[in-house]
Amino acid sequence: MREPISIWFFSGVLFLIYGAIITVTGLWELSHPLVHPPVLYNQFHPAIWWGALMGVGGLIYTIRFWPRVR
Amino acid sequence: MHFAITNPAALCAMLSSSLVKLSGVDIAVIAVYFAIVIFIGFYLKGSSNTSEEFFMAGREMTAWIAGLSFVSANLGSLELMGWAGSAYQYGILATHWYWIGAIPAMLFLGIVMMPFYYISKVNSVPGYLHLRFGDGTRAISAISFAFMTVLMSGINMYAMAIVMKVVLGWNLNFSIWISSITVAIYVALGGLRSAIYNEVLQFLLIWLGALLVPIMGIIEVGGWSNLKAQIAVRLGSTDYTHLWSTTGHFRDNPMGIHWTGLVFGLGLVTSFGYWTTDFLVVQRVLSANNLRSARMAPIIGAAFKMMVPFIVILPGLIALSALPFHLVGEAQAVASGQHSYNEVLPLMLVRYCGPGLLGLGVTALIAGFMSGMAGNVSAFATVWTYDIYGAFLNKKASDRHYVSMGRWCTFIGVLISVGTAYLVQHAASIMDYVQGLFSFFIAPLFGTVILGMLWKRATKAGGFWGLLAGTGTAIGLWSWVRHDPSALRYVALSPDAKALAEDMYRALWSWLACVIVTVVVSLMTKPRPEAELEGLVYGATKIPEERDDHWYQKPIVWAALIAVVFIALNIIFW
Repeated sequence: MREPISIWFFSGVLFLIYGAIITVTGLWELSHPLVHPPVLYNQFHPAIWWGALMGVGGLIYTIRFWPRVR
Repeated sequence: MHFAITNPAALCAMLSSSLVKLSGVDIAVIAVYFAIVIFIGFYLKGSSNTSEEFFMAGREMTAWIAGLSFVSANLGSLELMGWAGSAYQYGILATHWYWIGAIPAMLFLGIVMMPFYYISKVNSVPGYLHLRFGDGTRAISAISFAFMTVLMSGINMYAMAIVMKVVLGWNLNFSIWISSITVAIYVALGGLRSAIYNEVLQFLLIWLGALLVPIMGIIEVGGWSNLKAQIAVRLGSTDYTHLWSTTGHFRDNPMGIHWTGLVFGLGLVTSFGYWTTDFLVVQRVLSANNLRSARMAPIIGAAFKMMVPFIVILPGLIALSALPFHLVGEAQAVASGQHSYNEVLPLMLVRYCGPGLLGLGVTALIAGFMSGMAGNVSAFATVWTYDIYGAFLNKKASDRHYVSMGRWCTFIGVLISVGTAYLVQHAASIMDYVQGLFSFFIAPLFGTVILGMLWKRATKAGGFWGLLAGTGTAIGLWSWVRHDPSALRYVALSPDAKALAEDMYRALWSWLACVIVTVVVSLMTKPRPEAELEGLVYGATKIPEERDDHWYQKPIVWAALIAVVFIALNIIFW
């Protein structure tokens, strides 16, 4: 029987999914750069590092709070 | 809450094009969020079978979960967007609503008041009033709270739908029904536990979705010192970047407020009233798994609350310097087609966030709205079931019956909120009246609760008549100024005072009226025997000894640390 799922596990999964989606979007933008990007400071590629940060944080929480078998 | 929409219908008609175009990635980010919150509701249904589980989350929450939920229930999206707009309008003065208007009260709740709420094992604030002052005081408090909570929820829902219409071009009915049905499903299924889980998730989302704006903004303006200099040049005044130095006179600051109003009206009365007696937030702390967690939860909440200006006030200030156009009030925006103050946060999101990140930012705003609404309906269901239905209408029902009533109340609360939202659509002035009405009950209620907890001599009659007198005073002062605007010079001590200043002074006078009447009536009536006050009043209660292994586990140590940081921040931004 598995222990109840912790809120931190839910948070980890959500941020892992978000991190993956946003990082992939950022990498796509990097490989297909727009001549006139719609936002300021696009050259910093915030989607890549912000997405990666969320993904790594999400992964850590997903593993750390994975519901274990009692 | 500070969010004004003067003519919503006209606003919708004027703005046919949306501010933001969401991409497929953004829609996917939003869809994932909705899927997870509904899954949490279904997952937790099995652990919400008894009334203790459904209404109090089984009193199993850790200090961190209860603390984050405590601060998240207050951090609605309108709170975020409204105060970001206020920061643009009034400058850094808006920070007072996050610092002096919250931190001392939250620490006071954790250190002084929580033991009495927790030891008495009450399920609600009206429940405490029942034990301390009897059924009359409980009835006033419960009915006013239940009624105002669902009305406020509806008004917030409508204001949120308007923002979604303006920012995303979403249909009003779509926004109202999708968000309210989602909240109704996950709260009705999982009760308070589900609301709390989602609030924690929403709190983290709000931070991750909004934090990029101040980071990119600070890069754009070149740091805090440059930001201050640019605002001073652009507005021709340094008043917008000082917390206290301009509050010596009503005319010297953009908000038209005096430091006495901030310290006594906001810091002492309104803030303590909201954070220590509003059941919407106190319910989260009551769900803690032990007294130590219950004391730590508001302290943890205070630490995070103190940081919120970074994602709310700072973007408003950055917009003052960075936006190439000037934002205006809602009425002028409707007339001229310009952007209003309330749109400052979405405008800054659009400025820095591309596909994916924009979806995350919009999800943060939706999450904020849903956490506020879930807080309202779960608190409404609890107060209705325990303090109105169970106390006066059906005292002997089974536990199962009360849980069923709680689930139905959740749906009914959501439906009343939706009804209120549509009512406001046809009569916008209702919004002002209801926001005013809500403030009538908070300040006097704090007077009643604090005297009940700290003064053994306070009697049942004193509590009842004091609460009634305080509420009557607030309504009387509000009506007086509405009928005769020149009365502002008496109510707010200056004809130069503005709306927020009037609110602060009205709260102060109504609290004083409550305290004076409670004291006088109590001294004229027979006191309760001390034995009956055990667990309810300071001096008549033995607080359980907390055995902390280390000094850093003591709540008082963390409260002191946060108090020091709070004082330092006020001095730094003086």
